[in-house]
Amino acid sequence: MVNTRKQRRSSRHSMNAGKALAIRAWARRHVYSFFSSLGALVRSPLGTMMTVVVLGIALALPLGLWVGLKNIQQVNPATEDFSSISVFLNSGTDTAATTQLAAAIQSWPEVDKVTSLSPEDALTDFRENSGFAAAVDALTENPLPWVLEIQLLEAAVGTAAESKLQFKQQLDKLLTRLQELPGVEFAQYDLKWLERLHALMDLGASIGRLLALLFGFAVIFVVGNTIRLDIHNRKEEIEVMSLVGATEAFIRRPFLYTGFWYGLFGGMVAVILMSISLALIRSPLDRLLLSYQSEFELITPGFSGSLLVLLTGGVLGLLGAALAVRRHLQNLNPT
Amino acid sequence: MIRFERVSKRYPGSVMALSDVSFHLEAGEMAFLTGHSGAGKSTLLKLIALLERPSGGQVFLDGRNLAKVSRRQLPVLRRKVGVIFQDHKLLSDKTVFDNVALPLIIAGVRYQEIQKRVSAALDQVDLLRKIKTMPLALSGGEQQRVGIARAIISHPPVLLADEPTGNLDPDLSADLMTLFCRLNELGTTVLIASHDIALIEQLNRRVLVLEHGGMSRVEMSRSG
Repeated sequence: MVNTRKQRRSSRHSMNAGKALAIRAWARRHVYSFFSSLGALVRSPLGTMMTVVVLGIALALPLGLWVGLKNIQQVNPATEDFSSISVFLNSGTDTAATTQLAAAIQSWPEVDKVTSLSPEDALTDFRENSGFAAAVDALTENPLPWVLEIQLLEAAVGTAAESKLQFKQQLDKLLTRLQELPGVEFAQYDLKWLERLHALMDLGASIGRLLALLFGFAVIFVVGNTIRLDIHNRKEEIEVMSLVGATEAFIRRPFLYTGFWYGLFGGMVAVILMSISLALIRSPLDRLLLSYQSEFELITPGFSGSLLVLLTGGVLGLLGAALAVRRHLQNLNPT
Repeated sequence: MIRFERVSKRYPGSVMALSDVSFHLEAGEMAFLTGHSGAGKSTLLKLIALLERPSGGQVFLDGRNLAKVSRRQLPVLRRKVGVIFQDHKLLSDKTVFDNVALPLIIAGVRYQEIQKRVSAALDQVDLLRKIKTMPLALSGGEQQRVGIARAIISHPPVLLADEPTGNLDPDLSADLMTLFCRLNELGTTVLIASHDIALIEQLNRRVLVLEHGGMSRVEMSRSG
């Protein structure tokens, strides 16, 4: 009784030991494939480099688009330009009435600041800036009304980050209230521009996604084709490995690793290209933004973004290699 | 260990390479396979090593019907058979060490162990000093011996050799036969395809004779 239990225990022990041995052998085979695939890439540096650069460019393009888009979205037009409404008063309204109205609007909770623009100022401004000085001089009377420029409080109106529809509804409500005030001819805000910009950004994002998809496929197929050639060049080695008892998984593995390396290195090249490009456009961009007196922080992919690019590259490379291996390492053994 | 039951093999678009071959090789036996070139010696060896499948009949290796071995099990079974190829089948871009180590790398053996066993195997074929050489820098005979070292390194229970002495001078051939005999004494089943009659006759072993794809007779190499 005791004896059999001991035996059982020892057999279980040896089973565990056997399992551990098998796992260690499996790990050793992986380590071998890991280094041998890397070594093979290093041994043919020129070919490796060309493939990697192609992959890098393919990955850099969608990455660049993404970075550009993120930066444009950062310039939030809703809060900077669209929280202002122009209110045109009836012609003939006098200064006192205008001041009174401006004070009334100023007390609204949504309103940050009201600036009144007199017809005379507006005409002078128009005369100087429009290039129609002669036409303006020919006028016998000033046709322009008083205009109130209303700056809205960001917090009260809501930002574009919230739903665009909600923002528009808020603005519309405010506009109606302004229209109903006595002495107001009409009130307007340039929503068309806002809508167009949003539409453009949406379009940009869609194009970005499409490009990312297309270039992702490009990466898969470039790696797939490279691995296909690699398999072809190493037919002899594959045959010999198969002859001495290598499993299909063992034969496949270095090619899969190679695909992963290609993608990973391609991702590295993409990140490097991106960094160089951002460094190059930095100073002209800063000058441009300075002219708008805009506080603008350039968004870069950063560490996590770069890591994501590397991983994406690696996974795409692996996929490409898997595709080639599936297609071209099929008939190793007689059936 | 190796049993053929009415085995035939026809390659697509050619005549029968083997027809109706039956024989049985006991575990621990050493035998020769002979016949003129084109008689089907290589085909027979390939059937044992699972490099080919028979068109008819059944091949048994270590009691297993090879027709029932799945593709997944194939590699593991192949490791039980060490094969010495006529054309060596060495990897020209890898050193002698890497070539000989290949079966052990595939089995996932520890590197220190690999080093030890590669050295021992190369020592057995008297090529230890060429351990870092590329195969193309070796003579035909040396390449042959690298192939032998690779075949015996994982101590397979079955060893097949296709014309192992084809490129060797008589002295080396004799040495090689001594090595095969020693491996056989240690329990390895050995089947050697050769048409080197002189060599075969030095040893008192069973000889399987192939003629035009058929097994014509089984005889002892030294009658009496």
